[in-house]
Amino acid sequence: MELAIEIKNMSFSYGRQTILQEVNAGFGARRFSVLLGTNGSGKSTLFKSITGILSGYKGEVHVKGRLISQLTHKERARQIGFLPQFYQTVFPFTVEDILLTGRAAFSGFSPTGEDRALAEQVLAELGLEALRKKHFPQLSGGEQQMVMIGRLLMQDPEIIILDEPTNHLDVYYQHFLMSKLKAFVAAGRTVIAIMHNPTLAYQFADDFFFMLNNTVVPAVSADMPELDMLKAVYNTSFLHIRHDDLKIVLPVGAGGS
Amino acid sequence: MPVPVILLSLFIGSTGQADVGTALELAYKNAVASPLSSVEQESWVMIKNIICNVRLPRVLMTFLVGAALSVSGSVLQGIFRNPLVDSYVLGISSGAAFGAALAMTFTLIPVSVAAFAGGILAVVLAYLIARSGSGASIITIVLSGMVISGMFAAGLAIVQYISNPYKLQAIVQWTMGNLHAASWEELKRIYIPVILGLVIVFIYRWRLNILSLGDDAAKATGVNPGPDKWILIGCATLLTAITVASVGIISFYGLFLPHIVRMMLGADNRKAIPASIFLGGTFLLVIDNFSRSLFAFEIPVGIFTMLLGGPFFIYLMRKNKLNWH
Repeated sequence: MELAIEIKNMSFSYGRQTILQEVNAGFGARRFSVLLGTNGSGKSTLFKSITGILSGYKGEVHVKGRLISQLTHKERARQIGFLPQFYQTVFPFTVEDILLTGRAAFSGFSPTGEDRALAEQVLAELGLEALRKKHFPQLSGGEQQMVMIGRLLMQDPEIIILDEPTNHLDVYYQHFLMSKLKAFVAAGRTVIAIMHNPTLAYQFADDFFFMLNNTVVPAVSADMPELDMLKAVYNTSFLHIRHDDLKIVLPVGAGGS
Repeated sequence: MPVPVILLSLFIGSTGQADVGTALELAYKNAVASPLSSVEQESWVMIKNIICNVRLPRVLMTFLVGAALSVSGSVLQGIFRNPLVDSYVLGISSGAAFGAALAMTFTLIPVSVAAFAGGILAVVLAYLIARSGSGASIITIVLSGMVISGMFAAGLAIVQYISNPYKLQAIVQWTMGNLHAASWEELKRIYIPVILGLVIVFIYRWRLNILSLGDDAAKATGVNPGPDKWILIGCATLLTAITVASVGIISFYGLFLPHIVRMMLGADNRKAIPASIFLGGTFLLVIDNFSRSLFAFEIPVGIFTMLLGGPFFIYLMRKNKLNWH
C-alpha cells in the first residue's frame, strides 16, 4: 500500500516524562485513517510532531517518501493541511477573512483574486455561502469547525490531518463533518484524524490505529472492530452491533471485568 | 476626514488669538482688498507666525503621534490576541519612558534610542510571560503588563529622584503626555521613524490577520510566524518609543482606537490598519483641540486620554469576560 505519511522510531518527551516511545506507523494514501485513544495519551503531541508544529522529537517523519524536515514551508503547506484542536480569535473577522488566511503560505502580503475565487468555491463546497460575511466568533461550534476545515481546503493539501475534529459538535455536525471527510477521501485526498469517539470513527473510517502505552498500534483488521483492543485503550467494555453495512461499536461499561 | 480636521485645528488655541474669522478676514484683505493698516499688518504677521510656527507643527505632530499609537495598539492586540492591550497596558510606554528619562538625565545616548531600548526590554518581558506555560490568558497578560509597567515606573521615579530640579521639572512635564512642546525641530526628529514604522505595518497588515489566529493556526497553514511577529512587534515598539521620547506617555489611546476602528470596519487588518492611521491621527487632534481650548490653561493630552480610556477599559473587561480563561 502506498503510504501518505510514515513515522519511523519517533520518541518525544517533556523533561523526564515520556510522551511518545518508539512510534512506528504508516498511514495509507487516499485512505481515511483514525487514531483512537484517550485524552492525554500523546495523540496531539504525535500529530503536532507530524505536521511540524512541534519540533524536538527523535525519529523521522516521511511525507510520501520525503523527509518532512527537507520540505520548505510552502511545500509542506501543499502536502499537509492541519486542523489543530484549539484555535480561537477574539476579533470579529468575517468567515471570508478567515478562509483567506489559509493562503498565507502562497500569497505573501495580500490575497489574490484567485484566492478570493477559491474562497467562493470552498464556501460552495461546504455549503457555507450564507456565512461569508458573518463574524467568526459569533458562529456555533459546528459552523466554526466547518469554516476551519474550509480554511484548510484553501491550501488544497493532499493530506488532511485533524485533531479531534468532532469535539464539541452536535450530532448533526458530527455526522456532516465525518461524511465530508469521507467525500474528501473519495475525491483522492488522504484524511488522518485523531478521535476519541470510537462509535463515530467506526461508522466512517477505513483504517484504525490505537494509542496505547505511548505508542501507536495498528488494527489487525479494518473490517472487524477489536473489542479487546478497545477495552485496553479506553478501560471500558465495548459491544459490536452489525446493522446493515454499519459497524456500530458501543461503550457498555467502565473498568471492571 | 483628516483634512478638514487638520485645517480646523490650525485655528483653535488656548488664547483665542488667530481664530478662523480674524485670520480669514486679514488674509482676504491682504491678498485682494486695500493694503493693511499698520495695526492690521502687525496682527497679520503674528497670526501667520502662530499658525505656521506654533500650530502647524503641533497639528502635524499630533496627527503622527495619534497614528503611531493607534497602529501600535492594533498590532499589539493582534499579536497578543488580546483586545485589552496596547503599548501602555503592556508596559512598553513605561519601559520607553524609563529609558528616555535615563538618557535625559545622563545624556549618554540619544533619548529616542534609549526609549526604544527600554520599550524592547518591556515587550520582550511581556512576550515571554505571555508564552510561558500553556498560553497565558488575556487577564494574565494584562496583569503581567501592569507589573512590568510598575517596575519601570519605579525605575523612572529613581531617575527623577536623583536628577537635579531643572531636569526634574522637564521630566515630570514630559511624562504627563504633553503636545505643547511641538515644534518643527521636534517634528523633524520623529517623522522619519514614525512614517517608517507605519509603512512597514501597512505592508504587513494582511500577515497580521494570520498572526491574530495564533501560532498553531499559522504553522498549520505552512507559515513560520516568528519573523513576521518580531518585525511587527519591533514596529509597534518603535512607534511607541519614538512618541514617548518626544511627547511622553499618552495612555490608553492605542487601546480604544483600534476598537473604534473594528466597530466601524470589522477586524480585517487590510482595512483596519489604514483606518487606524487616519482615524488615529484625526481623533487625537480632536482630543488635543479640546485639551487646549476647553480651559484657559492647557491640560496635558495624556490626562485626557487616561480619563477617556479608563472607563472604556472597564467596559471592555466586562464585555470580554467570557474569554478570560
